[in-house]
Amino acid sequence: MVRQIAHACIGAALALVVSGAGAQPRHGGTIVYANTAGPSTLDPFLSGNTIEIEVVNQIYEGMLVLDEHYHPKPMLARAVEANADATAFTFTLRHGVKFQNGKEFTAADAIASLQRYGKVSPNTVLLANVASYETPDPYTVVVHLKQTNAVFKDMLVTPIYPVLMLPAEQADKPAREVDFIGTGPFRFGEWVRDSHLTINRNSDYVADETQSGTDGYAGRKIVDVDAVRYNFVPEANARVAAMRAGEADIAGIVPPELAKTLAGQDNFVAQTVFPGCMSVIFLQSANPPTDNPLIREAIAAVTNADDIIDAAGLVAKKQSSILYADSPYYDSKSSSSYYSQNNIAHAKELLAQAGYKGEKIVVLTNGTYPAMRDSLLVLSEAMKAAGMNVDFQVVDFITNGNAMQRGLKTWNVSTSWFCSQPLLGPQQWRPIIYNYTQVTGNAVLDAAFQNFTTKVRVEDRKAAWGEAERELLGKAYVVKISDFGWMYGYNRRIKGLQPWYSLRFWNVTAQ
Amino acid sequence: MADAPRWRALGPVAIRMLQAVPILLVVAIVTFMLLHLLPGDPAAVIAGDQAPPEAIDRIRRQLGLDRPLPEQLLQWLWNLARGDFGRSLILNQPVLSAVAERLPVTLSLAVLSLLITLPIGIVFGILSAYYRNTWIDTVVMLLALVGVSLPSFWIAILSVLLFSVTLGWLPTGGYVPLAAGFAPWLRALVQPAVVLALFQLGYLARMTRSAMLEVLNREFVRTARAKGLGEWAAVTRHAFRNALIPVVTVTGIILSLLIGGSIIVEQVFSLPGIGRLVVQGILLRDYPLVQGTMLLLGFAFVFLNLLVDVVFALVDPRLRRG
Repeated sequence: MVRQIAHACIGAALALVVSGAGAQPRHGGTIVYANTAGPSTLDPFLSGNTIEIEVVNQIYEGMLVLDEHYHPKPMLARAVEANADATAFTFTLRHGVKFQNGKEFTAADAIASLQRYGKVSPNTVLLANVASYETPDPYTVVVHLKQTNAVFKDMLVTPIYPVLMLPAEQADKPAREVDFIGTGPFRFGEWVRDSHLTINRNSDYVADETQSGTDGYAGRKIVDVDAVRYNFVPEANARVAAMRAGEADIAGIVPPELAKTLAGQDNFVAQTVFPGCMSVIFLQSANPPTDNPLIREAIAAVTNADDIIDAAGLVAKKQSSILYADSPYYDSKSSSSYYSQNNIAHAKELLAQAGYKGEKIVVLTNGTYPAMRDSLLVLSEAMKAAGMNVDFQVVDFITNGNAMQRGLKTWNVSTSWFCSQPLLGPQQWRPIIYNYTQVTGNAVLDAAFQNFTTKVRVEDRKAAWGEAERELLGKAYVVKISDFGWMYGYNRRIKGLQPWYSLRFWNVTAQ
Repeated sequence: MADAPRWRALGPVAIRMLQAVPILLVVAIVTFMLLHLLPGDPAAVIAGDQAPPEAIDRIRRQLGLDRPLPEQLLQWLWNLARGDFGRSLILNQPVLSAVAERLPVTLSLAVLSLLITLPIGIVFGILSAYYRNTWIDTVVMLLALVGVSLPSFWIAILSVLLFSVTLGWLPTGGYVPLAAGFAPWLRALVQPAVVLALFQLGYLARMTRSAMLEVLNREFVRTARAKGLGEWAAVTRHAFRNALIPVVTVTGIILSLLIGGSIIVEQVFSLPGIGRLVVQGILLRDYPLVQGTMLLLGFAFVFLNLLVDVVFALVDPRLRRG
């Protein structure tokens, strides 16, 4: 008996020594997260929806990543420097960072990843300006560009189709056929499609000791839990029920009316991520009659953001710009005069000036997201009040999205939600704006975007964006409606969860 | 005329199997055409709604979606003839493998739901017919009407709130494979199976009642009673057996619908079944997945109808006389 107690004491003492005197004890456990749907891929270069982006950023990391305020921050790189005219970017990599297969991350892996990105990602345009790569040593990558790109670092931290690092051996893998091996604090566990996905703690993860705390996708990532299990629960009532029944710790995307059921419950918290996305209306400039700027301006003139926000039923706030207020390029003066004009009389004047004779204006929306449908329904009624002949069409989201993406001449007015573009700003918006609105031959807009990309000083880029936004909103290619957020619920036993663009499970405990 | 041996019922089976081939060919072609008539581009779905047109076009070329439709159809039919049901564009896995993963879920739910539906539906139908125009008949038919009328989505949510959240008796959703244990498997499926059974049960009870009403006053039933057979023996061994044909038909229809998957129940209870697979495939324009799955479901329906015919022959000796 005495011997057993002695052995136990010695074992405990050894454990303390091994774990490091003063180290925080791990709680372990599994966080169960009832999410809306599963990913269709875990190939980071093709990850485009919120669940894919969230999961891949637990498994993989990039040389640069988003910080808490959506600015680029070194992660696998220690530092990034640009030359004077922003045509060469030197990435100095951290030493000793390991992939989950034990291999060290070096410059060869970085270049292989970038080259693969340029081959398989839908966002290959990001690297179209790259002239060459150079590796003076195993921990240095130099990217040479053909032309100045002052926002190359911002582009590299794109949330959609993220530029995350893979082992060089994955370079030749076709799209969506990579092995799920990254450098991140979690490793891939199990994926049963339509059921669940599990990521496990990477016990060999090398944290960046120069950083502290949770900082976007950067920071010092310490994983306390053993695993995170994403359960795919498409029905919102079922997600909240799972949390209340103790089967899930977190319920994602909780509608506001269901969030009210959590009020007054001691065990649960309803948290809002705000802003999460933007609601924006696009007016097609290649399809009559909205090829006439005066017609588009008339549609912008009738827009009443308050009515649309009420109808949509989202957790939304009015905000005139298509950038968020904490963007370095944000300037409300570029947008406020065009926002929520609610002026039927002015719209009628514009229509008269345009010589509008009742040509049909197709308002295309979808029933997949009732809030999108209801937003455009309200706008349609306002358009009719101004005398416009509106053809209101409801299709499914895929058809709607396809028509906008292709700039098909089957619509004049449509809408979507944008969660990534507003985070980084202008360079993220550019392809969307040009594709969706089919703007061509607009010298002011072209010059403004060109200046934004090539001006090295932030002040000059801000001025360029101001020009672009005034042109976009003034000529009504784009009509801003609102910023909105989403809610999720979680059990109070989960500590350290911070509201942000994605949930992050490092520096989080499940007690 | 002597009854033909039961094995001779198998003769028409082979004929029916051969007849299934043109049926399935029609299913294949119609599914292909209907899918391609839908607006929306699977390449755009794969690329993502934020991808530029060039990226979408590249994916279209890679997947062969830019080829003429007749060429795509012929290629698909040729692959089918070689046993290749294609590869899901969205899941990036063979269609057969995707269906095989989900088949146990759908079969489990269907069989369990049927095991609930059959005895209760038949007993209710028999009781209702025997006690027709009494309070028993009224109550049973009212319950059957409620079962077929209440939206399964609403019943499912209420059931979860009561049995899972409030009472904590059953899980809110998810599927537990049978390999993980019979009790957990059953516990996960009880709620969705009962919700699914409510509609089928009402339908079966009503059909059983109608079939029983037709035979209860027939001469052979009166003869059985006159010969001294107990009332319930006369009803179950004579009347019910002769009412089996329409009951078996309805059962076959119910099973076909269950195999096809109940998207609503699968959605609410987060069950990764075939119903959800097909609907998601349609919504995301996953042509090979929907085409392949619909063909497999068509084969299942043909097989089930064949099974019903075999059961007819086993139950009704008149169908075996050759």
